Amino acid sequence: MHAATSTTHEVHDVHDHIHPPPEGFVRKYVFSLDHKVIGFQYFFTGLLIMLIAGSFAELVRLQLTDPKGAIMSNTAYNEMFSMHGTAMVWLVLIPLVTGALGNFVMPLQIGARDVAFPWLNMVSFWIVPIAAILLFSSMLWGGPHAGWTEYPPVSLLDGTAGALWCAAIFTVGISSTMTGLNFMTTIIMMRAPGMTWTRMPLFVWATFATALMNMMATVALSAAVGALFLQHVFHVPFFDPARGGSPVLYEHMFWFYSHPAVYIFIIPAFGVISEVISTFARKPIFGYKMIAFSSMAIAILSFTVWAHHMFPSGLAPWLQLPFMILTYAIGIPTGIKIFSWVATLWGGRIYFSTAMLYALGFLITFTFGGITGIFLASVPVDLHAHGTTFIVAHFHYVVAGGSLMGFLAAIPYWYPKATGRLMSERLGHIGFWLFFIGLNGTFMPMHWLGLEGMPRRYATYEYFAKAFPDAQFWNQFETGFSFLMAASIGLLVFNVVWSIKHGKVAGINPWGARTLEWTIDSPPPYYNFKKIPDVFDRPYDFDQPMPYRNTDNVVAPYPEYGAVVMAQPAGAGA
Amino acid sequence: MAAAAVHVSGHDVVAARYSDVDPVYAETRSIRLVGFMLFLISDCILFSAFIFAYIYLRSSAPIWPPIVDGHQLPWFDTSFAAMNSIVLFGSGVTMHFALENWKHLNKQKFNRWLIATIVLGIGFLLGQAHEYSVVNITWAGSTMGASFFTLTGLHGFHVFIGVCYLTILGIQANRGVYTGSKYFGLIAGTLYWHFVDVIWVALFFLFYLW
Repeated sequence: MHAATSTTHEVHDVHDHIHPPPEGFVRKYVFSLDHKVIGFQYFFTGLLIMLIAGSFAELVRLQLTDPKGAIMSNTAYNEMFSMHGTAMVWLVLIPLVTGALGNFVMPLQIGARDVAFPWLNMVSFWIVPIAAILLFSSMLWGGPHAGWTEYPPVSLLDGTAGALWCAAIFTVGISSTMTGLNFMTTIIMMRAPGMTWTRMPLFVWATFATALMNMMATVALSAAVGALFLQHVFHVPFFDPARGGSPVLYEHMFWFYSHPAVYIFIIPAFGVISEVISTFARKPIFGYKMIAFSSMAIAILSFTVWAHHMFPSGLAPWLQLPFMILTYAIGIPTGIKIFSWVATLWGGRIYFSTAMLYALGFLITFTFGGITGIFLASVPVDLHAHGTTFIVAHFHYVVAGGSLMGFLAAIPYWYPKATGRLMSERLGHIGFWLFFIGLNGTFMPMHWLGLEGMPRRYATYEYFAKAFPDAQFWNQFETGFSFLMAASIGLLVFNVVWSIKHGKVAGINPWGARTLEWTIDSPPPYYNFKKIPDVFDRPYDFDQPMPYRNTDNVVAPYPEYGAVVMAQPAGAGA
Repeated sequence: MAAAAVHVSGHDVVAARYSDVDPVYAETRSIRLVGFMLFLISDCILFSAFIFAYIYLRSSAPIWPPIVDGHQLPWFDTSFAAMNSIVLFGSGVTMHFALENWKHLNKQKFNRWLIATIVLGIGFLLGQAHEYSVVNITWAGSTMGASFFTLTGLHGFHVFIGVCYLTILGIQANRGVYTGSKYFGLIAGTLYWHFVDVIWVALFFLFYLW
């Protein structure tokens, strides 16, 4: 028994045997087992699909500049918004926030050399391009037309394209489940010695909550789209009302996954914001435990609120009330986070890097989207606003203004660690303002248009334009601002590529941050940590020396850049 | 290879089991155990989703079994399924004995119990095939058929995978992949097999007793 319970130092000795990195292009860059390379693969795949799905969104916006529909047929319009939603949700956001960020950052932050199952990790990534091919090939058969949710019975009219859609979502769901399983195991089992649960960086807490939802909820989605696939291909009557099936059943199965899915997008962004705000305010994060536990609370509550997407579907009234109350309740942990971040900023020495700008922008736009979410939780308001652009405004404020904004904060923050070079701050600042103004300009008018009754998913709005004459002006306004967002993403892509060669050399710790990844070289060596470090405190006490022993590099007791911060307002660091 | 034929007391077995465990193996074993348990949980949720669909369809139907083309569908044959269930549960028992014998370094008995498990698993699949051939409903014909064939088919697929899995484990064990102290694969196989049993308990109740 003695061996299994040996002290950590004995384990170190065994672990200090490091394999050499693989040789050859294919092993190194294509079928790589290295979590960092897999993170890059997710990043570039997600970014590429984002450009495609984003251009679909611009086509949708261009169509709406005229109440009669400006550029395409109604069918093509349905295909465009369906493909935009599907691709953005499953092939852009989830691969980016869980696949790219989780893979690259999480093992470095817990002091591990890789994830628990590197081979599974590689398979999880390579499923994503397969799913992308399946999804985009559905456009050869006319594409899906029923929106990203593909509700039957409308989606049953899609034929082959619908079946391909199901196959694509099923495969990407498998990838997501395996990633969740992999990350949960990694975080439970492979933290560096001394890194107890309450010493984990908050991004790791966020990844853990995300992985939990990925693992538990995504299989429900697999069941839903699997049953829809059977309905398409073998006419198995799960959802066919003519033969006893129930379309509402699909909504239940779908939203049991897809409500957690929106938290799968947003919780990693919460983790990023916690890291970025603490680092650039040079202050201990306010309410560490509350932020960590509220992530878990959101993850657990997210399984109990799915039917708030279904209030108009004929859900029994006695069921609506508990779902309404639970949906309000999920605002509490989210509010705790927002207040903790604001309290962290209070009295901090704020440095406006690009990452910090995105984090501050996130606080504004995400809070805005969260508050409209609280409106929509109320059954009467939801019945009024459901199916209008108010919903579109709400979820784009939380998805683009929350999840994507958090991701855009993460890129400049971890880019120096990933490549060894800093991104251009000038381009980053311009990109931020373009994105922030574009986002608000695009989605803000949708609130009042929606409350006036402008329907979402309609290719034309002539009747609405008669009732509300300003409709065309506001729609053109939105379309114009949406191109600012497109320009910002274009600038980001240019910045990412340009800075690989021309960025300033970053060094080990350009931001003066304190989590473990900033104690190793940039870019990190193949096995990350030559010696697995010991952790003896949580990483946010900026007035304390770095809480690590046995690190590869001699880390300054106070990070170079952080030395300016010594004094804090009394009581601010509680 | 552990000393397979040597008979030793239980105390010695425990000592032997841990004496050659190196810390790296101990750690990777617990990592794989956690990963495998998480996989089983997610698999359980996959079944739960389809079970939810079945309960939902059944409780929202005006009459059950549903009426198709003017005729009410027949109930399933409980007595045959009960016998088939006993075959599957029996295979869980034999798998337990197989693993225990491996732990006690008794390879011959391990082989016998493992073969018994595989045979019982195949027997269950044959029973399922028989039931599919005689049952009077179709997959695409009704919600009852949809739920029944999807859930039992998914379960049967798991049993089929399990039979293949146990066969591979048996071959590996006889080639010396596992020892008296390093046999995580066998633990995983046993866990999986018991998991498939437990799912069948739920399915048996839902389709034959409810």
